[in-house]
Amino acid sequence: MACLACLINTLYAQEKLTVSGTVVNPDQAALTGVSVVSASGAGTVTDGDGKFTLSVTRGETLTFSYVGYQTVTETAGPEMFIELLPTAAVLDEVVVVGVGYGTMRKSDLTGAIASVSAKDLRKGVITSAEQLLQGKVAGLTVTQPSGDPTQGSALRLRGGTSLSASNSPLIVVDGIPGVDMNTVQPSEIVSIDVLKDASAAAIYGSRGANGVIIVTTNRETGQRSMSYNGYVAVGNAANQLDLLSANQWRDYVRKNNVAGAVDYGGDTDWQNELQRTAVSNSHTLAFSNGGKDSGFSGSFSYLDAQGIIKKSSLNRLAGSVTGYQYGLNKRLKMEASVHANKDTYQPTNMSIYQLAYNLNPTLPVMQDGQYTQIGGTQNNNPVEVLNNRKDDQTRTRILGFGKAELEIVEGLKGVVNGSYEYNSQQGRFYQPSYAYDGRSDRGYGRRNLDDYTNLQLETYLTYDKTFQNAHRLNLMGGYSYLNNTYEGFGAERRGFDTDLFDYNNLAAGIDFRLGDVYSYKGQAKLISFFGRVNYVYDDRYMVTATLRRDGSSRFGANHKWGFFPSASAAWRISEESFMEGTRDWLNNLKLRIGYGVTGNQDGIGEYRSLSLMGTGGGAYYDQATDSWKQSYGITQNPNPDLKWESTAQTNIGIDIAFLGRFNATIDAYIKKTSDLLYTYNVPQPPYLYDKMLANVGDLSNRGIELTLGANLINNDRFTWNANLVMAHNKQKVDRLSNDIYQTDAVPSGNLHDLTGMSGVFTQLLKEGYAVGTFWGPKFLGLDDDGKFILETDDAGNVIQQYLGNAQPSLSLGFATDFAYRGFDLNIAANGMFGQKILNAQAMNISYPGRLPGYNILDSWLDKNVTEGPIYSDYWIEDGSFLRLQSVTLGYTLPVHNAWFSRIRVYATGENLLTFTGYSGLDPEVNFSGLNSPGIDKSIGPGDNYYYPRAKTFSFGINLSF
Amino acid sequence: MKLKLSLYFAAGICLLNACTDLSEELYDRVQSSDYGKTPAEIETIVGRAYSSLRGGASDGVNFYPTGEFVFFVTSVSSDECVIPTRVGGDWYDDGVYIDLHKHTWTADNPKIWAPWKYCYNGIAATNAILYQVEQSGLDAADSRPLFAELKALRAYYYYKLLDLYGNVPLDTTYVTNEAPGTSPRAEVYKFVEKELLENVDYLPENAYGRFTKAAANLLLARLYLNSEVYIGQARWEDCLTVCGKISGQLEPDYFTSFKTDNQTSREIIFAIPYDATVGTVGNYLASMTYHYEQMWAFSATGNYQWCGNGISAQPGLYSAFDENDVRRNSLLIGPQIDLRTGSTIIMPASGNPLDYTEEISNINEALQNEGARLSKYEDKEGDLWERNYDMVLMRYAEVLMMQAECNVRLGNPAAARAFVEQIRSRAGLSTPETIDLAFIDQELRREFVFEDHRRTDNIRFGTFFNAWWEKGADPADKHTGLFPIPQQELNKNNKLTQNTGY
Repeated sequence: MACLACLINTLYAQEKLTVSGTVVNPDQAALTGVSVVSASGAGTVTDGDGKFTLSVTRGETLTFSYVGYQTVTETAGPEMFIELLPTAAVLDEVVVVGVGYGTMRKSDLTGAIASVSAKDLRKGVITSAEQLLQGKVAGLTVTQPSGDPTQGSALRLRGGTSLSASNSPLIVVDGIPGVDMNTVQPSEIVSIDVLKDASAAAIYGSRGANGVIIVTTNRETGQRSMSYNGYVAVGNAANQLDLLSANQWRDYVRKNNVAGAVDYGGDTDWQNELQRTAVSNSHTLAFSNGGKDSGFSGSFSYLDAQGIIKKSSLNRLAGSVTGYQYGLNKRLKMEASVHANKDTYQPTNMSIYQLAYNLNPTLPVMQDGQYTQIGGTQNNNPVEVLNNRKDDQTRTRILGFGKAELEIVEGLKGVVNGSYEYNSQQGRFYQPSYAYDGRSDRGYGRRNLDDYTNLQLETYLTYDKTFQNAHRLNLMGGYSYLNNTYEGFGAERRGFDTDLFDYNNLAAGIDFRLGDVYSYKGQAKLISFFGRVNYVYDDRYMVTATLRRDGSSRFGANHKWGFFPSASAAWRISEESFMEGTRDWLNNLKLRIGYGVTGNQDGIGEYRSLSLMGTGGGAYYDQATDSWKQSYGITQNPNPDLKWESTAQTNIGIDIAFLGRFNATIDAYIKKTSDLLYTYNVPQPPYLYDKMLANVGDLSNRGIELTLGANLINNDRFTWNANLVMAHNKQKVDRLSNDIYQTDAVPSGNLHDLTGMSGVFTQLLKEGYAVGTFWGPKFLGLDDDGKFILETDDAGNVIQQYLGNAQPSLSLGFATDFAYRGFDLNIAANGMFGQKILNAQAMNISYPGRLPGYNILDSWLDKNVTEGPIYSDYWIEDGSFLRLQSVTLGYTLPVHNAWFSRIRVYATGENLLTFTGYSGLDPEVNFSGLNSPGIDKSIGPGDNYYYPRAKTFSFGINLSF
Repeated sequence: MKLKLSLYFAAGICLLNACTDLSEELYDRVQSSDYGKTPAEIETIVGRAYSSLRGGASDGVNFYPTGEFVFFVTSVSSDECVIPTRVGGDWYDDGVYIDLHKHTWTADNPKIWAPWKYCYNGIAATNAILYQVEQSGLDAADSRPLFAELKALRAYYYYKLLDLYGNVPLDTTYVTNEAPGTSPRAEVYKFVEKELLENVDYLPENAYGRFTKAAANLLLARLYLNSEVYIGQARWEDCLTVCGKISGQLEPDYFTSFKTDNQTSREIIFAIPYDATVGTVGNYLASMTYHYEQMWAFSATGNYQWCGNGISAQPGLYSAFDENDVRRNSLLIGPQIDLRTGSTIIMPASGNPLDYTEEISNINEALQNEGARLSKYEDKEGDLWERNYDMVLMRYAEVLMMQAECNVRLGNPAAARAFVEQIRSRAGLSTPETIDLAFIDQELRREFVFEDHRRTDNIRFGTFFNAWWEKGADPADKHTGLFPIPQQELNKNNKLTQNTGY
């Protein structure tokens, strides 16, 4: 028997076997040129798709080796899927980077482009895709001024270039520009490339001024796989205002003999009454089947993210399907993809925070089954506000595209990419007749639908040619057409005899008003021609030049078309022969320089250049018919000169990699934006309106960025990597006036919605200063009566002066990961330094006379201020902070069985620690935009409210089958 | 070359025409050149001139004639109203209301900007409408009355500017974008007079809510009544002559003109119609004056709009009325009864009863219940933030009082008495035998209380510059009789000159 077994074994071992397989890196990207050698000496290399076939003897081992990667040896099987792990800092030659209308090897890049692969994206409960990039790219700030799961985050690259237009980078998803980043799910993203300087972004012309973020999803996987990822997360408010408790309140009232104080006998922490422990969970199923000629993949995910404020939540169902196939002897490739998701969410009524800070802590929430109400301004029961309203919103996003690539002759490829994006938002609101606030409405219901569609056609040709093994040339030219349509309608009614219908039967309301219904529709077109030349000589010298011509229907008749050129060059010094001696320690040294012009057309909006008639002027009484009629009038000052904002940017950068394990990138830039769009105050008359959108001013940003990466320890048992990104940016408004439009300073940052602060402005938009400059009186001290002493001139007038700026001088992101056997640990932190915050929150709830009617901060009782809040730098604080963003500990179980190829369990803690001297709730306040950057209002219903941030722990599992 | 070829190729893929077509397609609006072709369309354009009378808001400055901030500015700078800072800082708002009271305002006071915005917003709208009516191709017979109405309405705004700021830019065109320079007060005066005289005959006789012959004549009479202030030349006889052309009547009940349905009042000569259900905004003075808890005094279920406890009558105003004077009910004073309990409303902040007092103990730290409240227009259960009563701009009583005053000014107090008597007897009062200017001044204060007359009357009688309550006497140059040209406007238009004294 033993012999027979022996014989069979031998026979078996000598059997020939054709192995086919795929080799990928940890990001699942195909590796080209990997050497595959069998024990008996047969060998091959992987092709452009990372695939190989090799004929071997069954049972033989194969060795996979590749520069910069750990060598792997495995027993041959009929189908093999090999993942190679990098040995050191990955060499640039092998990394492919999206540059818009094509990809480039990282080593060939001439512009400032940062890439983040999936494994380095932010961990934890992600409710908006922008959050994935927080602290990951030098110069890209992601602020999430709220813990509200239904709200997004703000992105800003290199300081922002615009006063009134968007400062958010252009998002390109799988080659489709202008897509909402949340259309694709975090789990589907393979890599994100950030085009930072103008020489890189200029290929996107009039939309590139704030940089471009290219998101690539896993469309071509080259493997057969199934996986499940899921987690459960538990969150609680990370911080709360320390207000007087009921007993502290009683104590104060007794000690101070406060007249008129009413003790309602309860003990209520109103902040706690609004909050809960939020439990969220997420499940993602994905499968793919990739082959040489065709492949497909699909994924389906569900997210239920609870907010820590009761009733607030986000529910997301998302799915995607992608397929591709080659034909015509591999010269034609077609692919199609659909991403769809639906969000159901309940926003929070922001007035509840102020109410919670105001209400008497001795008041119980309920009495005799009824919500308590004691009357007074901003003093109604916040729990009632929270519960006696229904606000159900849904949002649908669909992105579909079809793409065909044809190799016409060798090296010349034509690409046609047609896409359709549909975003739709529906609102449903009902405030019942018994709601305390809307009593006079006798029930109020509202529905609205807002639709947005984006139809795009992008066509381009690329030509690749290598001459004499040293000259590599890449040409690209194309045309694109974008049609953007938005439309919607809404209706509301009051006067419902029953509350049973909620918002579902508006016709039941009998109180009609003129403004109860509305509808709108608008459209914009963007047409472009673009081209790029990229030339590389001997892997040492690279030049790139791009040109884009954009025409937009939004632009005024006098400026319909704009040109956006760029040029850049790079020199890989390390490849020079004179650097021969450094090869053993210097892996890469590259110098880059680039210049380009990009635009921003976002701030114009549709139809702004035209003289239009509309109904905005309101109704008028017509005596003849004893009725009201709609009046018509010219709705705006037309400006036929309107055009894009133009940003010229120069960038110099150095990339260094040494000792096989360290790399560094340093970039310095100067960005000058001209033709700034701003809504100017114009004299009325002669102008019909006192506002006019015009291109006038100049603004500049200068900065330096540093990215450091280290592969500190790397052996078969233990690896340790660390990454640090840092950026400094300095912004200045250079000019706000020209011959026609004059202004040297515009007050901003108003505190209109705070008590006694109507018409008070705290900031100044001023030539020579950055956006978000605090301007006002300087606080010198308190006088004997506890009144503010402000700095005055000799005449006794208070001096208005510079009090600091809301923009950080340094932003920082840090991440490190360790792996030991099956364990992995990842720690990420981010921070901002040098920015000022106006603690308007404290201004609003810290004044004498709040007690006994309203509650007050514990700390305020010790400050001997006897005066109501007056704006000065007394209220301005240093907002610097460093936050421990997340810590993840994972363990991969050593199982390889028929069921699972991989099992990993992990736990993540988010927002664990914040180091800051700021006394308010949270130093991460909104600092983009013009309205109130750096102003911590922390209350609604202004544009800058604060929904408490959560401290969250999640527990998850990754399964591969 | 290759690049160029590629571009041509790409361009060739689609039809060249559609490829580069950037025309804007309009869906929910029309180009202004495509509208105003039919009489019905023209009517809607002219209607805009009247909807503009309700004012608006920009730059965080509300310019509603009813209250915020047009009426606030004029009434708080007169001896009629005050907006004290309440304990805790409510209504402090950077001290702008205290400055208005003390006449220590500066050109950058944002509230002083409001009347300017109100007037020029209306003027610019009217200029554009005149242009559109001209362009419409309407024949002369049809367009002449429209021009008359629009120009008279524009004269109304210029009259207000002349009264408030004096030296202001005169602009009557739409097409030019050339900023106008300052015209001296006398020139603006002449313009207003000329526009009214040229157009009065083409105006409608009777049309509620529109600028009628009577409205134009009353405005002309106001101009003449204040001529001495405006141009240093008295025109009392002219005022009398124009008053003689205005026919009208007094309603037997003083408050008929201030009811929710006041459009039925036969006394009203010109009013701005409001109806919240059609979306009119700005008419919420009541919510600016009453205490936060006032709702319980108007409705047992609290079904009354929230109020902000701001503007109050200046101490001394309430006492200026005789206790039998029905007009004293324009002010609300005393304890407010909670309809739920039948006892006085308790203010939650202090636990004290809500009892409005005439006195205000401290303008910088007024108690919540201090100050009599403005209660001239009707308040009812169920009132919304936007009230429905029309804002009375002109009523026949003013014609009577102008006739009385001119007679006294012309040394004929006996002739004045008959006019005053009509006013006094309706108010439930007897009339003194001799009428002098001081009496006229006080009678105007009572009859037109909270109707945005007081600042102009204070100035005409010279009392504007006296010390009162927390305010000292004005500087001797009396430059405070004109508001400064708003600094924000000077910043936009360097052809403007600031009024002397600022």
